[in-house]
Amino acid sequence: MVADRPPFEDLYRDFLGRIYAYVRAQVSTAADAEDITAQVFMNAYQAYARFEARNTTPAAWLFRIARNATLDHFRAHGRRERLRRTIEHQPQAEEDPASAAEDRIQYRALLTHVALLPERQRDAISLRHSGLSFEEVGVLMDCSEDAAKMLYHRALKALKESVRKEEA
Amino acid sequence: MSDRDEELEIQALQRELDDAFATTRPRTGFEDELWLRMQSRRPLGSRIREAFAGLVQGVREVPAVPLASVAAVLVVVIGVGIFAFSGIGRGPKATSSEGAGLSLNAGSGGNPTSAVGSFGHLPSPVRAGPGSPQASSGALNPSAPLPAGADYAGPVTLTWAGQLNITISSAPVFRYSEPTTDTADQFASSLGAALERRPAGFLGLYTASDYTLTVRGTIESPPQAPAYFLLTSPSMADIAAAGAQPADIAALFLTEHRLAPQWPYTSAVDGSADQVKVYFQRQFDAPGYGLAYLVDGTGNRLGLEVDLNGSHPVRAIGPLPVSIESAPYPIISADQAVQIAVKPSAAANPVAPAATVQLTSAELVYTLVAAGDHSFYEPAYLFSGSFQVNGVTYEKRVLVPAVAP
Repeated sequence: MVADRPPFEDLYRDFLGRIYAYVRAQVSTAADAEDITAQVFMNAYQAYARFEARNTTPAAWLFRIARNATLDHFRAHGRRERLRRTIEHQPQAEEDPASAAEDRIQYRALLTHVALLPERQRDAISLRHSGLSFEEVGVLMDCSEDAAKMLYHRALKALKESVRKEEA
Repeated sequence: MSDRDEELEIQALQRELDDAFATTRPRTGFEDELWLRMQSRRPLGSRIREAFAGLVQGVREVPAVPLASVAAVLVVVIGVGIFAFSGIGRGPKATSSEGAGLSLNAGSGGNPTSAVGSFGHLPSPVRAGPGSPQASSGALNPSAPLPAGADYAGPVTLTWAGQLNITISSAPVFRYSEPTTDTADQFASSLGAALERRPAGFLGLYTASDYTLTVRGTIESPPQAPAYFLLTSPSMADIAAAGAQPADIAALFLTEHRLAPQWPYTSAVDGSADQVKVYFQRQFDAPGYGLAYLVDGTGNRLGLEVDLNGSHPVRAIGPLPVSIESAPYPIISADQAVQIAVKPSAAANPVAPAATVQLTSAELVYTLVAAGDHSFYEPAYLFSGSFQVNGVTYEKRVLVPAVAP
């Protein structure tokens, strides 16, 4: 029912930042995050007429689109190569001042650790800290709420170890 | 490590992740640009129908950026406020009573807006965590480096042992409108540089015979003013000034390229041998007080930076000239500022013993508060004091917004 559906502009205002942060935690440059975020909302805008609030929450619906768009991005660009460049801090072929500025974003280093986690752990942390409930995380990741909780806590421990190793 | 310690570390990590995700946001202007792109892709027929049906008000042409920005400010302040404990040693994450480095004490209530002057309610400054990547270096936000040991992460208890003789009851707040591509183009043109392209996140990239110039707008988090970045090419001539000191060479370079600061400043030099950075530390005039430095979220002075290799200018980074207007706002008294500076945070960590830090000096400063279409330079009290832990000297800074609530 249309009445169940908030205006798209409300979704846009409420979720743009969260979707961007979710995507940014997974890709290595701000420019890629912007491109993917733009694609997410373009797709969502076109599909919003078909969105049915009784089947899912707007958050879960948008994050599903974001998750698919991010996976598409990795398929197209090769996640391994991009991560390797991130890990080794290799310079880009051309210095990108936008990227340099964005590197100053608070907690960038922590999000880099998140990006290096195995895919499902990375997703569990990113979705959870983007404000989704464990139930929503489970639906998005095709598992139960309890499984999502377990996956999330395993991911936290892995993240903690990753941070600790670097500091050591 | 005990289970209790491990649990505390996990909780700290969760808080850190909350803050990381809450403070990671797209650049200023992205929200508008994307919304307009989406609107432009809607079928023409539906746009016309809506226009005739009077539905335009229901379709937001441009997102309410100022409101969104204030919301972002709130998120960050709240996010910082909950940062009470971190057992994984990623640098100080503390509010007023936990960590050394800089804290921003907003007083009670966490009200995001301040007194009403002719600019209306003002958004409050947002603290950038010391030790965070964007606060520790001056590459794109020129500032003097943090003092050694400023990233002490342990809890501290603050006391005041100095003299603060600031008697003014109001101070100007400065406001500028977010620069556009036209602003950047005019600036570049005035220097003799021609537009080459507009990279994502920037207003423009321009070239001249012996340098490239990039211009960007305000960055909201951490707040950074609109800026230009001038990178010289090897063909850039050395500055011919026999026997001149680096500060003089930098000033000559700026003058030759029509970049000399049009605002009050003091200069400082960092580096040795041939690699030198010259800082032109910006000041604002506060009638009755004098000149107050512009500082970032860590209390470091901001302004314009010129990097020199001997007498060869390598790059210059400075604030994009923008039109600034001012309006007086009432400010809190020095006594009130002291009380706020030393007030323990509600989020204080009761687990670890706190080092006692005497704040011994204070001054009026200005900080940038980015707020979408318009941003503000607002007065603040900057307190500082040094202390020792295990034989290492640290410096603690506390920034207290001065505009009266």
